[in-house]
Amino acid sequence: MTGIQIPAKIDISPCGDAALRVTVDGADTDEVWTTVHRLAARLNGGGLPGTVSAVPTYDAVLVEFDPYHTTADAVALHIRSWDSATDAAERVRSRVIDVPVLFGGAAGPDLEWVASLVDEPVARVIDIVCSREHLIRCLGGPAASAMTDGPDFRVPIPRLAIPRLRVPPGAISVAGSQTVIGPVAAPSGWRQIGRTPLTILQTEDDNVVPYRPGDRVRFFPVDERAYAALLGTPMRYRDDV
Amino acid sequence: MSDRPELYIESATACVVTDLGRTAGPARGLAVNGALDQFAARAANALAGNEPSDPLIEATGFDLTICPSHDVLMAVTGAPAMPTVDGRPHAPWAPLSVRAGQTVRIGISEAGLRAYVAVHGSFDVPLLMGSCAPDSMIGFGTAVTSGTSLSLLRPHPPLINPHFDATIFHFGIPSSVAHVPTVLDVIDGPDAGEFGPELGRLFDSPYTVTPRINHVGLRLSGPVPQRSVTGEVLSRGVPVGAIEAPTGDELLVLMRGRGITAGYPVLAVLTSLSQDIAAQLRPGQQIRFRRTSRAAATAAYLERRRFLDRIAVRARTAFAALSNTSQLCGGHCKRSKQ
Repeated sequence: MTGIQIPAKIDISPCGDAALRVTVDGADTDEVWTTVHRLAARLNGGGLPGTVSAVPTYDAVLVEFDPYHTTADAVALHIRSWDSATDAAERVRSRVIDVPVLFGGAAGPDLEWVASLVDEPVARVIDIVCSREHLIRCLGGPAASAMTDGPDFRVPIPRLAIPRLRVPPGAISVAGSQTVIGPVAAPSGWRQIGRTPLTILQTEDDNVVPYRPGDRVRFFPVDERAYAALLGTPMRYRDDV
Repeated sequence: MSDRPELYIESATACVVTDLGRTAGPARGLAVNGALDQFAARAANALAGNEPSDPLIEATGFDLTICPSHDVLMAVTGAPAMPTVDGRPHAPWAPLSVRAGQTVRIGISEAGLRAYVAVHGSFDVPLLMGSCAPDSMIGFGTAVTSGTSLSLLRPHPPLINPHFDATIFHFGIPSSVAHVPTVLDVIDGPDAGEFGPELGRLFDSPYTVTPRINHVGLRLSGPVPQRSVTGEVLSRGVPVGAIEAPTGDELLVLMRGRGITAGYPVLAVLTSLSQDIAAQLRPGQQIRFRRTSRAAATAAYLERRRFLDRIAVRARTAFAALSNTSQLCGGHCKRSKQ
């Protein structure tokens, strides 16, 4: 193990009678995030009978349990006695997903607005988005949207004052210093800069969701013809394509 | 007619096949979904001699009319349910033996919103991550629509008392289960502190259920406690039953179809039992929140689950005894006239 310290503080607060919120407090956000996701992996891997699910985000894990099979105190005790430094749980292999994106136009109605905000030409904004891999930090509502780090615009991107009622499936949107891939049509207050033609969620496959936190996304631009040709292709890991 | 038992759906609106939920979903970013009134769903399966997580029908707000191709044993639960067989009323919250070709109508009364129909042997429906629960977000699930059929995994010999033409079992479920209270118990949420004394407003006056209710959540109009701190909240997992105020003028109560993360502070969380009550609320109804402790909520919940266990054991024992009897006499038991 390298660099994983026992976090300064774990705070556990009740979330009703069947869930706990575990918040990890630490100076290093990367370390906090890593701890949170390893704890969730431990709990989701059957680490404690009676635990139903663990949902990790940035600095917290929502742990849902069945009060019929365990108690909040037992879950809390289990978490407090978990030593991240000696937990030999396998790290999930971080894999890469290549994501084609049609930028701007109807597919990215906020691209030009973002370009003028960061004072760069549109082509340069696309370059910035596509020039590095984006780490998936967590999956959020609705429907396993991938919340990723970056791109690095040096200024946080403000959300829309009035959220759009419907953003189409496959929308690539930015806010703050994050990018989100939205698998399904949903309301959103994020700035939509593009759209991927790939089908993200695959209900005929029992995994459904083609990525996990810790995976990395590499965006690359496609034109309308390539977009049309790729429409409906299932999203896959680079080494599975 | 095939040899495979089927349940023919004569008429259905807003009706799905569901179960207790996709428990593997939240860890992968998907909502848990599943029966909104978990107690009624568990009770229906227990009364029908099924496993707790077996698929069953959830009918929301509208009557449902069904007709089995073979003799079946079913159970109808939920606050509003009023079953009839060929026009004759039968008790809900009890096993119901139905002959091949009989018409079962499940009326939905004003008493609640959602009824549950479990059939012994359950339904043969597609599963995703081990659950048949519909997920409207990702477009998965089995809708129950007029003119279609659901495959049953097995028929059940009739359990009709020849003297009364009624199902012979009663497992003593109190009639109070059909009553929907208007008080919802809540436990202080993880972000209650951000509201300071404002949180108390939650318990001062009633709230009205707006027409905007579904499996994702209920919107309630009434006084909305205001946060005393400002600033963005980091996205975090939110439990089912979380009460938030995203717009500042209405309360949002998150139900089982909710997105698993949100960036809004959680004022309070409905207890598990109150989530079942919330599932039965209709637009226009008035409710009050009542503050409770986790210990009290857990005690009440465990009492309910143990009660369900007793029902399930009684039902299984009774049905097993019957099927042994019918096997002993070659499946053609003649009841002696007394």
